[in-house]
Amino acid sequence: MAVMRGFLWLLGFLLLGDVLVTLTGLPVSAGVAGMLLLTFWLMLRGTVSRDITAAAQPLINVLAMLIMPGVVGVFFILDTLSGQWAAILGALVGGTLLSVFTTLWLMRRLIGREEPGRE
Amino acid sequence: MSELLDHLLATPLLAIALTLAAYFTGDRLFRLVGAPSWCPPILVAALLLAGVLALAGIDYADYREGAGWLMLLLGPATVALGLPLYQQMGRIRALWRPLLICLPVASGMAALYAVAIAWLLGASPEVLASLAPKSVTAPIAIGITEQLGGSVALMMGGLLLTGVAAIGFVDLGSRWLGIRDERLLGLALGINGHALGTVRAFEIGPTAGAFASLGMSLTGILTALLLPLAWRLPGLVG
Repeated sequence: MAVMRGFLWLLGFLLLGDVLVTLTGLPVSAGVAGMLLLTFWLMLRGTVSRDITAAAQPLINVLAMLIMPGVVGVFFILDTLSGQWAAILGALVGGTLLSVFTTLWLMRRLIGREEPGRE
Repeated sequence: MSELLDHLLATPLLAIALTLAAYFTGDRLFRLVGAPSWCPPILVAALLLAGVLALAGIDYADYREGAGWLMLLLGPATVALGLPLYQQMGRIRALWRPLLICLPVASGMAALYAVAIAWLLGASPEVLASLAPKSVTAPIAIGITEQLGGSVALMMGGLLLTGVAAIGFVDLGSRWLGIRDERLLGLALGINGHALGTVRAFEIGPTAGAFASLGMSLTGILTALLLPLAWRLPGLVG
């Protein structure tokens, strides 16, 4: 039952996030608003109930599976994209390579240095 | 045969079962070949699923309608990421200053590099709009792509490839640069590789996972806020 009670909590925060996003017109998804609300609420309370952990952990574990139905769609529009493949693959693979290295380099400069003094 | 298929597709059950089966088979195959980090199980699973749909002659639109029930869970799953975020709040707070600089730059670069390369290689505006949110988590990226006028199917495919590439490149980059700090690896995975990178980060450790959740959510929020604005700039100039 803990899982179901925890799931209800998650749904509650999701709906709350949805209400907030709809009323304020923020360009953020209901899920992200709900996530930030949940984090904020847990910080206020200072503890996590076992119900929420029981529901959250399995969902986080299958996050990758949940986007599969959408991802598979690309295999069915392949022919409509002919002629643009070089641009698409170059942008995705090259762009990701560059941005990963930029991120790692930047983070190491900014965070790596703080490490010895802080911890 | 096709009547039976139509009957089974009348409810979402078949689509959901196929997705789950592909996911677990992909995971199994992944482990059988020794869990190579350059080829995450999700890529295997997606290829399997596409193959099965094509072989069985199931229309993607029909499949998508049923499997949409599964994607509904993306909402609560995104909310669930608030938990690791809370659990690592102490470590995140200790780094708020570098994070404040790193996150906007890194998430901006994730979009900018891709759009610039695609534009140089002559992609159409629709393709550009589908590739721009490539590093953003799916529920937010769908909204951004629709707003910019891109194709959601292409964007989701781009999301898969980006996630896979980000996992591989973070692996490679951390070895080249000698980075073992879980916080850095997690951030790089979350900012560049959205949910797929975050899943990988949780495999590395709970700290990496929490920092990936942070990177993923902030990249999503920043991109959702800034990309539609940035998109209007060329229009103003031209």
